[in-house]
Amino acid sequence: MAKHRSTTRDGLAAAGIGLRSAHIAEIMETRPAIGFLEVHAENYMTGTPAVAALEALRRDYPISIHGVGLSLGSAGALDREHLARLRALVDRIEPDLVSEHLSWSGLPGVYLNDLLPLPYTEESLEIVSDHIDEAQAALGRRLLIENPSAYLRFRHSTIAESEFLSELVRLTGCAILCDVNNLYVNADNFGFDPWAYLAALPARAIGEIHLAGHHRADIDGRSILIDDHGSAVSKPVWDLYAHALDRFGPKPTLIEWDSNLPALPVLLAEARYADRIGAMQAAERRTRAVA
Amino acid sequence: MPSLEELQKDICDAICGGDDTGLSELIAGDGIDPRARLRIYRNHAVITLTDALKATYPVVCRLVSDAFFAYAAHEFIREHLPERPSLAEYGAEFASFLAQFPPCRELGYLADIARLEWAINQALHADTVVAVTRGDLSGIVAADAPRLVLTIDPGLRLVESRWPIERIWRANQADGDPDLTIDLDSGGVRLRIHRRGDRVVLKSLSPCELAFLQALANGDSLTDAADAALRIDLLFDLAAALGAILEDGTVTGFRLETPSED
Repeated sequence: MAKHRSTTRDGLAAAGIGLRSAHIAEIMETRPAIGFLEVHAENYMTGTPAVAALEALRRDYPISIHGVGLSLGSAGALDREHLARLRALVDRIEPDLVSEHLSWSGLPGVYLNDLLPLPYTEESLEIVSDHIDEAQAALGRRLLIENPSAYLRFRHSTIAESEFLSELVRLTGCAILCDVNNLYVNADNFGFDPWAYLAALPARAIGEIHLAGHHRADIDGRSILIDDHGSAVSKPVWDLYAHALDRFGPKPTLIEWDSNLPALPVLLAEARYADRIGAMQAAERRTRAVA
Repeated sequence: MPSLEELQKDICDAICGGDDTGLSELIAGDGIDPRARLRIYRNHAVITLTDALKATYPVVCRLVSDAFFAYAAHEFIREHLPERPSLAEYGAEFASFLAQFPPCRELGYLADIARLEWAINQALHADTVVAVTRGDLSGIVAADAPRLVLTIDPGLRLVESRWPIERIWRANQADGDPDLTIDLDSGGVRLRIHRRGDRVVLKSLSPCELAFLQALANGDSLTDAADAALRIDLLFDLAAALGAILEDGTVTGFRLETPSED
């Protein structure tokens, strides 16, 4: 089977899906058409047989390695051992994309298994940009940094998140992974305008888009959106995605689905839908260019 | 304002169930009690770490029910947070935790099932090492045999229990018979846990086979390991035991020990 390698200057041509262990055997067997596969780096850092499966899949699919544990926003030093393991994985798999989060996950020797929000201050900016510099130097490549979902914000933040990300791009040369679902969730939870947020991001620095499901929970009688990657992408997130593509142009897009994992065809249908929106947006842009 | 380091330390404490009053002033409520906002993170940590433990200890979970497992995991997580992000390496202390956990006092075998599942997890995630074959050893002359030291695959695990944990474990696999009655007094078991390809294989060992493998794993010479086995069973058959561990990929290296000066 021909490799679904990226063919356009805009990156990976078709939408990808998060590779989850329950689907590995089926994908190995049926080799469905998928733009790319994205894996969580931390699941491939041991001698697990899953690494051999990933090595087999990378012959047919572009791979994106998505880290969740580097904790770029931790005040202390980066976990050098973890960074070395990430580097070993990146060297072995030679992925098309490597990404991490604008967040922190613990203290030295304590990992909270979550992507915790940062106060957006000058101090945080310096710490995160130093850590991105260090990680990019260790990996020998550009990192994509994802905007996280959040359920709290700090009173002492002085920089808007979109501005914080733009500054990281300027300071470190990193790219941005724009998670449209996270943006939608945060905009709803904190009452800001997601369109203005997208307008403030540097379009050329966007290297990938994430899409996922969320659910609405009730806390203290107030409704709050929880980014749980446990359902189909919602209508307003598709709308925001279309707007993001309109602003950024075609970008590699990933469907993330982690809890209540559906059958593989459901995931593939979501990816196809993202492709359709991409095609419609591209046609609209062409029409506008002509007119 | 606190430094980022101070803030992160306080949030870590709060997520671990500590005092969160100081944090409330730093977090914008936006209509929700800041402490309720912190609880979202605390709940997320407990739920996802419980899932990680459940993935590593599925038979323990089946034996005690989801609800009890969640309770035990919650108590465990309070004392043991992951040290690093690779969750396959999280939960090493769960067996010893269960052994001391008062509500499990009646289930004497449960901690040993957990030890077995941790060994299986370690074997599954161990690096693959190429095994030594008979042919590789053909250059060793008989006179050198007493100096031969074999390296055992570092991913291999040995578990001994006074309970029939292999039968309990097998009955609780997807293809097992969960209604099978297992006599808890039917005797203990010694197990070799080793990954072959994508699967982890359990093999029951005799007491002398266990002593032989344990000695080799400790770095003892082949003759010392044979002595250890012979002390348990005078009829221990070294040629057969050596042949078996060369056949099943247990041996991953060998060297001739330099005789000591004295």
